[in-house]
Formats: sequence, structure tokens, C-alpha cells
Amino acid sequence: MSTLNNQVMAVTFEKCRNGVLKVWPLLPAILYLVGFQIIVLVYLLLLSFSSPHGNGAVPSLSSYSLILSDRQFREALFNTTLFTIVGTPLELLAGLVFAALLYRSFMLRNVIRSLFLIPLALPALVTAMLIYVLFDYPGGHVNHFLLGNYPPFPGVIAEPICWRASPFTALLLSLIGKVWRDTPISMLIILAGLNSIDPELLDAAKSMGASLRQRFFRIIVPLIIPSISVVVLLRSVEMWKEFIFPFVLAGRYPFLGTLIDFYYNETGNPHHAAAVAVIMVICIVGTTLVLYKLLDLLKRYAVHP
Amino acid sequence: MKFVRRYAQLTPMASSKRIIWVMGVLLAILTVLGPVYLLVKYSISDGASINTGGRPIPFWPLHPTLSVYGYLFSDRHFYTVLGNSLIIALLTVACSMLLGVPAAYILGRYKIPGRRLVLLGIISVRLFPDIASVIPIVEFFIFIGAHQTYWGVILSHTLLALPYVIFIGMGAFETIPQELEDQASVMGANRFQTFYSVLLPLAVPGLAAAAIYTFLLSWDEFIFIYFLTFGRQEMFTLTLYLNGLKYAEPQNLLAATSVCLSIPVIAFSMVVQRYMVAGISSGSIK
Repeated sequence: MSTLNNQVMAVTFEKCRNGVLKVWPLLPAILYLVGFQIIVLVYLLLLSFSSPHGNGAVPSLSSYSLILSDRQFREALFNTTLFTIVGTPLELLAGLVFAALLYRSFMLRNVIRSLFLIPLALPALVTAMLIYVLFDYPGGHVNHFLLGNYPPFPGVIAEPICWRASPFTALLLSLIGKVWRDTPISMLIILAGLNSIDPELLDAAKSMGASLRQRFFRIIVPLIIPSISVVVLLRSVEMWKEFIFPFVLAGRYPFLGTLIDFYYNETGNPHHAAAVAVIMVICIVGTTLVLYKLLDLLKRYAVHP
Repeated sequence: MKFVRRYAQLTPMASSKRIIWVMGVLLAILTVLGPVYLLVKYSISDGASINTGGRPIPFWPLHPTLSVYGYLFSDRHFYTVLGNSLIIALLTVACSMLLGVPAAYILGRYKIPGRRLVLLGIISVRLFPDIASVIPIVEFFIFIGAHQTYWGVILSHTLLALPYVIFIGMGAFETIPQELEDQASVMGANRFQTFYSVLLPLAVPGLAAAAIYTFLLSWDEFIFIYFLTFGRQEMFTLTLYLNGLKYAEPQNLLAATSVCLSIPVIAFSMVVQRYMVAGISSGSIK
């Protein structure tokens, strides 16, 4: 019995050795990625669970309790949650509209699709600067437009708005920049979903007398729900992670991403910064799990109403 | 005329609907291109077209001028910054390709067990927030002495680019027919010869796209370079230079620097677009 085991083990060992010999070119890249990810996780946990005061070796929750009692952190958490809740559907909606416009085949379709990808190609920092300039106070294009200085458009405000002076409008600017920049990604994913629908399916439904409404809700919607799920899941993660737009446009108002920068570079406290980062990751994982469940329910409901 | 008629047959649509659709497309194009146009306009504006003293800002500058670009390219610090951006981006490309291409070759050509798991792991690395992983990486680099060094920045940019190189490169290797590889081995080529003289030349277009993508990623990366060079001016790249301009300088300088940062990105994006689109779309379906 044991010899058999030994034989089996020898064969397995031989197989493994051959396998490793065959796939060794894969290993450096994987080790690089895994190694850094382990470093990131270990350092994050060590930093956030050690005290900034004292010897730092004892596992301690003091960083967490300190930031949780910090009004700035609570506001940042609230603002970022709101940013995610409002921004994710907006990006989905914009992606759906753009994809719908490009769904039909027409002469310049590929050219126009390339144009629609420009926001994605532009560096995020440039987009943020662009929003910064356009929404300038008191004399940016947007203020002049809203004041009615460009006929024939009517004026809707009497005084120019100082966009970056209140947390609400400053985060609104960040949201505008973020949605403008990311819409092409949502558009491409949804477009891929739409294009994978077999046109014969729609023709068949039409010839059997299904109305446009029925075709839309009974065929197109159920079939693009996987694409919509991907958009919602990926976009919500990106919303939580956002740094650059609030950094440029809402620097003084609390936001999770910029708070990490504030704790680390301004107050020189890596423990607090790491604790915020851990909470951000928890928020992302939590949101993803909840959304995954919800989208699963939606999928079942849409396919068998 | 024949073409137009065929087009009309392809897209039968009531005229009222067609008008709505055309309006929608035009509005979308305006939303996308309008801000980009305004950015370029700001960069060639003279001072009087920006500080208008209460009059509306014109949509075409009163006296278009390239003087701001002239100022930018006469600034010695700007050349240092440009050089930094180039060195970091090129070395990032070299490191990522060196690590990524062999991995892409294995994942594209071999049915290894656990392949899906490996791919899933590579994607999830990218979903981890940069702003959260930057703190541990900076602390680690301080520990090993790579903080505020070029190598620190290059290693971190390689970390960001590697998943993309593996995915785009894998696609390039996957599409090569198996027969070519078989024939090479029948003719007595060993594994390395097959890889080097048969597979690699055929994968070059896809790998070039991966390299360009990596270059652009490093070129406009902000978070890691900002944390890793915090306060060290002589290592600043173009993104940090632009960030330094935001509160003090005239807006036409801000816009001109933005244009300089964007031009290579836009130009190259058009080249690699096909691969980018395929990457985003296939990732969503699989």
C-alpha cells in the first residue's frame, strides 16, 4: 500500500515538476503581483492596528476609534457614500444613452465611436483641470452661460456661483468630471452586450407580432442585464476609490480618498491613513456583495417576471 | 447615390424618430468635444480673452496667440519635468514587458490548471484601490530605501501596468493558430525557438498595443508619483507639474500644460483603441 502511495506521489511529483518546468515564464509576473499584494495587505493591517503613540507593537484599535470620532472622517464617509449612490446610476444612465445612440449601424458609426472615447483617453488630471477652469468664479464659461450672457440662452441665476466654495457644489463638480470621463467605459460594456444580441431573435419576435415595448422589455432588457451588472459593479468600486477629482476640485472638503492624503501627507500620520484605507476597502467589498445579491435578484426577476 | 439608398434600407426609421436620433448624436458629440475644444481655446487665448472684466468669455480668443506655449518651452524646469516623465514611462514599459510578455505567452498558449483563478486574481489586484495601496507601498519603499527614487516610481507603475500587459498580450498570443506552432516543432525547433521566431513576431501588434498602453498609464499616472515623490521637485513629472500650477498661474498656462500632457495620450489612444475596446468588451462578457 505504502509503495503504491509512494509511486503515486512520485508520479504526482514528476507531473508537478514537469508542470513547473513548462509554466515557469508565468512565475515572475505572478510572484511580482502576489508579493506586492501581500506587502500591501500586511502593511495596511499592521499600520492601522498599531498605535501611533507608544511602541506600536501591540495590536490596538486606537487609530480606528480616533478616526471614527473625527468629524472630518464621518463627513468624508457620508460624502463618499452619497457620491457613490448618486454617481453609479448616473454613469449607467449616461452609458445606456450613448450606447443606444450608437446601436444602429450608420455611415460614420466607427468615427463617432472613436470621438466618444476621447474623454477616456484624456488624463483624469487634465479633465479635472478643465472642469476647474470652466467652472471658475466669477468669470468661467459656466457662470457666464447660467447668467444668460450667451444669447439666445436665458439667464437662470442672478449672481455668479462660487462652485468650489461649498462642499455640495464642489463635490458636484467632481461628480460631473467623473461621469464625463467614465461614460465611455459604461458605453463600451453595454454596447458589447447589445451587439451580442442575435438580430434574428428580434426579427422573429417582430414577425410573431411583438410590439416595440414587448421586444424591449422581454428581449433586450433581460439580455443586457449581465452587461448592466458589470457596469454597476465596476463603477461603484471606482466611485469609492475616487481621488483625483475631489483632490483638484474639492480639496478642502472631506472625502475618503483625499482624507488618506490629508492624514498621510499633511498630518504625517500613516496609522490613521491606513485605517481610512482599510475602511474604504471594507466599504468596497460590502457594496460589491450587496450589489451582487441585488443584481442576482434583478436578473431572476427580469428573466421570469 | 446607390450608397445612400443602401444606407436608407439598412436603417428604416420614421423621420420624426430619425430627427430625435440625429439631435441626440449631435448633443452627445457636443458634450464630448465641447470641453476639449474649450481646453485648446484657453491654451491659445490672450490675457484679455480670459480676464474679460465681466464681459462674457468669447468662444474664440480675441487675439489668438501661442505665446504661452513659447513661455512653457523656454522654461528649463519644464524640460526636466518632460524628461522625468519620459524616463519613468519608458523604463516602466521595459519592466512590464519583461515580466508580462512571458506570462502572457503561457496564459495564451497553455491550458494550465487554475488558469481562470489566475486571471481572476490578476483582475482583482486591479480592483484594489490605488489610494489604499499607496500608503503601504510608500512605507515599504521607505523601509527598503526606494522612497523618492526613480526605481520606486518605476516599480510601482509596473505593478499598475502588469495586469493590462498580461491581458492584452494574452489576447495577442491566443489568436495565433496552433498549426504554426506544431509545424515549427515538426521542423525541429525547440520551445524557445518556436516562441522567439514564430510566436513573438506574430504577436507584435498586440504587444505593441500593450506597450503603448503601459506608456500612457505611466505618463498620466498621478497617485503613486504624488505620494512617492512628495515634495521632491526635481523628480516631478508632467502630471505633478500641472498640479502645481492649479492655484497660482494664469489659466492659459494651465490649459497649455494640459494640452502638452494630453497630446501623446490622444494620439496613441487612437492607435491602440481597437485593443482597448476589445479588452473592455471581452472582460465584460466572459
